[in-house]
Amino acid sequence: MKALWRIFRLILREQPAALGRGAALSFIVLAMGFALLSLSGWFITAAAAAGLAGMGAVFDVFRPSAMVRFLALGRAAARYGERVLTHEATLRALEVLRVRLLGGLLQTSYPRMIRIRGAQALNRLTADIDALDGVSLRLVLPIMAGLGAQAVAFIAIWALVGLPIAAWILVGYVGGAGLIFWQTTRKTARLSRRAEAAAQAFRSRLIDLIRARRDLAVQGRLMAQADVTRAADDRGLMMRLQQDRIERLAGAAFQMLGVLVAGGTLWIGISLVQAGDIAPAFAALGFFAALALAETVAPLRRAASDLGRMAEAARRVSRDIAVPVTAPAATADSAAAGSLDVAAVTLLRPGSTLKVVEDVTFSVAPGETVALTGPSGSGKSTLLLAAAGLHPIESGEIYLGDRPVGAWNEAGLRNQVGLLPQRSVLMAGTVADALRLSAPQSDDASLWQLLDAVALRQTLEARDGLSTLIGPRGDGLSGGEARRLTLARVLLRRPKILLLDEPTEGLDEATAQAVLSGVRKVLPEAAILIAAHREIETSFADRTVSFT
Amino acid sequence: MTYQERAGEGGDTTSTAADWLAPGRRDQRRASVLAALANLIWPLQAALVAYALGGLLTGGDISPVVVALGFIALGGLRAIVGFVSEALAETAAIKVVQDARSMIVAREAQRAEDTTFGGAGSISALAGEKLELLIPYLTRYGPARARVMVVPIAILLLALWNSWAVALIFVMSGPLIPVFMALVGMAAKDASRRQMDEIATLNDLLIERLSALVDVRLLGAGDAVLAGFATKAANLRTRTMAVLRVAFLSSTVLELFAAIGVAMVAVFVGFSLLGELEFGTWTGPLTPQAGIFLLLLAPEFYQPLRDLSAAWHDKAAAEAVLDDLSAWEAADTSVLLGQGGAATRLHGPASVNLSGCVLPNGTVLPDIAIAPGESVALVGPSGTGKTSALRMIAGLLKPTSGTVTVAGQPLDASIADAWRARLGWMPQAPHFLNASLRHNLTFGRQGDPAQALQQAAVANVVAGLPQGLNTRLGETGGGLSGGEARRLTLARAIYAGPDVIIADEPTADLDAITATTVTDGLLAQNAQGATLIVATHDTALAARMDRVIRIGGAA
Repeated sequence: MKALWRIFRLILREQPAALGRGAALSFIVLAMGFALLSLSGWFITAAAAAGLAGMGAVFDVFRPSAMVRFLALGRAAARYGERVLTHEATLRALEVLRVRLLGGLLQTSYPRMIRIRGAQALNRLTADIDALDGVSLRLVLPIMAGLGAQAVAFIAIWALVGLPIAAWILVGYVGGAGLIFWQTTRKTARLSRRAEAAAQAFRSRLIDLIRARRDLAVQGRLMAQADVTRAADDRGLMMRLQQDRIERLAGAAFQMLGVLVAGGTLWIGISLVQAGDIAPAFAALGFFAALALAETVAPLRRAASDLGRMAEAARRVSRDIAVPVTAPAATADSAAAGSLDVAAVTLLRPGSTLKVVEDVTFSVAPGETVALTGPSGSGKSTLLLAAAGLHPIESGEIYLGDRPVGAWNEAGLRNQVGLLPQRSVLMAGTVADALRLSAPQSDDASLWQLLDAVALRQTLEARDGLSTLIGPRGDGLSGGEARRLTLARVLLRRPKILLLDEPTEGLDEATAQAVLSGVRKVLPEAAILIAAHREIETSFADRTVSFT
Repeated sequence: MTYQERAGEGGDTTSTAADWLAPGRRDQRRASVLAALANLIWPLQAALVAYALGGLLTGGDISPVVVALGFIALGGLRAIVGFVSEALAETAAIKVVQDARSMIVAREAQRAEDTTFGGAGSISALAGEKLELLIPYLTRYGPARARVMVVPIAILLLALWNSWAVALIFVMSGPLIPVFMALVGMAAKDASRRQMDEIATLNDLLIERLSALVDVRLLGAGDAVLAGFATKAANLRTRTMAVLRVAFLSSTVLELFAAIGVAMVAVFVGFSLLGELEFGTWTGPLTPQAGIFLLLLAPEFYQPLRDLSAAWHDKAAAEAVLDDLSAWEAADTSVLLGQGGAATRLHGPASVNLSGCVLPNGTVLPDIAIAPGESVALVGPSGTGKTSALRMIAGLLKPTSGTVTVAGQPLDASIADAWRARLGWMPQAPHFLNASLRHNLTFGRQGDPAQALQQAAVANVVAGLPQGLNTRLGETGGGLSGGEARRLTLARAIYAGPDVIIADEPTADLDAITATTVTDGLLAQNAQGATLIVATHDTALAARMDRVIRIGGAA
C-alpha cells in the first residue's frame, strides 16, 4: 500500500496541473449527472402534479428544461474532457516512470545487472507500468470525485428533500461501498501476487523455450518445456478465474447496493409523502438522485479487484526506480594522462568474503601492453571489472591517469576506460547500428577503419557491408565474427585505457594475430591490459603479470 | 485437441478468426442470452416505480414496503442473472486464451529457428498481454451485441404500447447510433493496429537492451539508449492516446445522441402531463404513471447501444490481435526433426555420415564420414559452416539437399528423438534456463550431477557459488566467468552418459590449463567408447583428435 501511495505521488508530481483539472472535471461529471437525473425526476412528477391540479398553464417549464439541456450536454462535454485529460496525464507520468525504471536498471550494481533476465525486467517495464495506470485513473481520482459528489448531493438533498433521505443515501453508499471494497481487496491481494507469479513463469518459460530450443531439443526436453510452459499458463488462468469470480461478486454487490439504496429511498419517500411531510415530486427527486449516485461507486468494482495487482506492481517498480543521481565532483573533461596504476589492490569474490585478488601492484604506461596470466578463476576478470569501476575495491587503489577509479563520474570513466568483457551481447540491427551504439556520431569511413583493424572488412564486404543484418543476440555471425565486432565497438570509443578480457577467444591463430596488431595500430597511445588465456595474447604483450 | 492437429501439420492450414474464438462458443451464446434477459428486468422495476410515484400523485393506496421490497427483489434477480452471464462469458474467454497459448507453445516447440514474425520478445508479447486483449472482447463485446439486438426493440414495443410519439422519437434517433459506430469502428481498428505494432517493436527493443545492460553501460551508451527508449515510449503514448481519443469521442457523441433522445422524451412527457400536448397516445391523455414509466425507460433504450460502442474499442483491439495471430501462424520456418521429446536410445553403431549436404545459404559441405568411437575435429575459417554441420548431425537443421545418415539410417523425423537421446551437446553460446543450476545440468532427469561436474573440472566453481547447485544464473551464465560457464555446458553434455558428443568450440574462453582439462574430459568419454565430434579453432585440441576434417576454403 505504501508503494502504491509512493507511485501515486510520483504520478502526481509529474502532472499536477493536468491531474488536478482532471479530478475537478471528474467531480463535475458526477455532480452534473446527479443534478440532471434529480431535476428530471422532480420536473416530470411536478409537471404531472400541476397537470392534475389544472395548473399546467402557469407551471414554469422553460427554466427547468433549459437546465436539463445544459446539464445533459455539459456532462457529455465534461466527461470527454476529463477522460482525455486524465488519460493523457497518466500516460505521460507513466512514460517518465518507465524511462526512470530503465535508468535505474542501467545504474544497478554489476552482480545484479548480469543476473537480470530480459523477460523479467521487460515485464517490469511493460506490464507492471501498464498496471499502474489504474492508480490514478481507477483508484484515487474516482474515489476523490465520488466522495466529493456524495458530499454535494448530501447537502443538496438535505436542503430540498430532508435529512432522512439525504442521510440514508450518504451512509448507504459510502458505508456500503467501503465495506464491499474492503472485503474484496482483502481477498484479491494474495491471488494477484500468485497470478502474477504464474504469468511471469509462463513468459519466462516461453522465452526459454524459444531461445534455448536447440539445447532443449537435443536434451529431449523440448516437449517437457512446452508442458511446463502450458502448466504455468493453466495455473495463471485458474487464478484469474478466481480473481474474476471475486470481481463479479464485487460487481453484483455494488449493483445490489445501488438497488438497496434506491429501494430504501423509495420506501422513505413514499412514507414521507403519505405522512404529508413532502410533495411527491420531492420523493421522486430523492429516488432519482439515489439512482444517479450509483455512478459514484461503479468504478470501484474495477479498482477493488485490481488493487492487489496494482499494489504488487507498485512494490516491484518502486524498488527499481532510479534515484536521480547527484553528480560527483569529478568532471568528464579529464587529465590527459592515460596510465593505469594498480596499487596494493585486494578484491573479494562477489557476495562472499573470499579474497580473489590479494595485494597486487603493477602499472601499465601509455602505449604499453601488459598481459595478465593465471588459471581460470584466479581473478583476472575481476581485476579488469574493478579497473572499469564495476567491482568494489576491498583495499588498495586503482588509478586511471592521476585519479582513483572511484573519483570519476560515470561519463568520464567510460570515456577514459574501455572494457571488452568476456561475453558481450550484440543486438538485432545492422553492423553499423552495432558499432554506433558506442559512438553515435561516427561516419562510415571511421567504422570501416575499425573493421579493418579487427580483420572483418573482407567478411563484411562479401555480405552487405555496414548494412549487413545481425539477428537477435548476434545471430547470423559466427562466434569469432561476433567477438571481433564487439571489440571494434569498444575501440570506436578510443579509450585511453583499454581492458581486454580474452579478446581473441574463438579466433584462429592468423586472425588473432591480425586483430591484436590492429588494436595497437588504432590506439597507439593507449595503455592496454589483457586478461590472457592464449599464448598468442601473452607473446603479443610487452610484459606479463602472473596471477596464481 | 485442435491445436495439436494444427501444430502437427506445421501451419499448412490457414485458420480464420472464427477458429481462434471457437472454444467455448456455447458458453458465449448462453452468456449473451442471459445478458439480454438481465436488461429486460429493468422495465419491470420501472413499472413498479411509475406505479408508486404515479399513485402518490393520483392518491392511490401505495404500500411503501411492497414497492421497496419488490424493487429490491427485482434488482437482486437482475444482479444474479448478470452474475451468471458474466461467469459464463469469462469461462469461455479464458478457454479461448488458453487454447491459443497452447497452440503457440506447441508450434514454437516445433520450429527449428526464429521466425520472421519476431523474436522471443514479440512472441511472448503476443502470447502474453496481447492475447489477454481477447478477454474483454469476449466478455464485453459479445454480450453487449446481444443486448443491442434485443433490449432496444423490447423497449420500443413497450413505448409504442404507451405512446406512439415516444416510440417515434426512439425510431428516429436509434439507427443513427449504429451508423456512427461503423464509421468510428474503422478508425478505431486502424489506430489499434498501429498501437499493437508499437508495443511489439518496443518489446523487442527492450528485451535486447535489457539482456545487454552491461555492454550498454561499458560503452557509455546509457544516455543514448535511454533517449532512444524515451522516444519509443513517447511514440507508444501517442499511439495509445490516438486509440483512446477515438474511443472517448465516439462514446461522447453517443452520450449526446442519448441525451438528446431522452430530453425529447422528457419534453414530450412533461408537456403532455401539463396538458399542453394532446397527441401521441392511443387513448386519452398520458397518465402520470405512463409518463414516469417512459422517462425511466428512455435511458435504457440507448444504454445497450452505448455499451456496444464502449466495447467497440475492445473489438478493434481483438481484431488487431487476431491479425497478429494470423501473421504469426503464416510465418513459416523449417521445423525440427522429431518432437524434441524424451525417447529410448536409437540402436545401431555411433556413426555419422554427411553426403552432398548443402546449407540453406548455399554453402556446400564436404562429405564427412565418422566411424563409431572416432574423435574428429572440424576446423576451418570462421563462418564456413562448422556450426551448421554440427546442427545437421543433431537433427536441428535440415540440409537443402544431401543426406545425413546416423547409426546406419537416414536421419529423419521418425528417428531424430531417439538419435538425440544418444547425444551430448555443447553449444557455442550457452543459454541458461530460468531455473536452478541443478535443473540446468540435469534437465529434470534423475541422478546426481557431481560426477559430471568433476569430469568437467567445474565442481569447485559450483561449490563456491552462494547457493551451490540451487543458484540461478543469468541467461548467458551471468555470475560466472566465460570459462566456467563453458565447463558447465560440458558437464551438462556428459551428464547423461552419451555415446556421441558434439561440441562447438569447447575450449574457447579457456586458459591453457583449463582447456587441457576440458579436452581431457572429452577424450575420457571418447576413451570409454563415445564418438567425439568437435568444431574448433584450437590447434592443440585438434591435434589430440584422431582425425581433422577441413571445412571451407583451402585455409
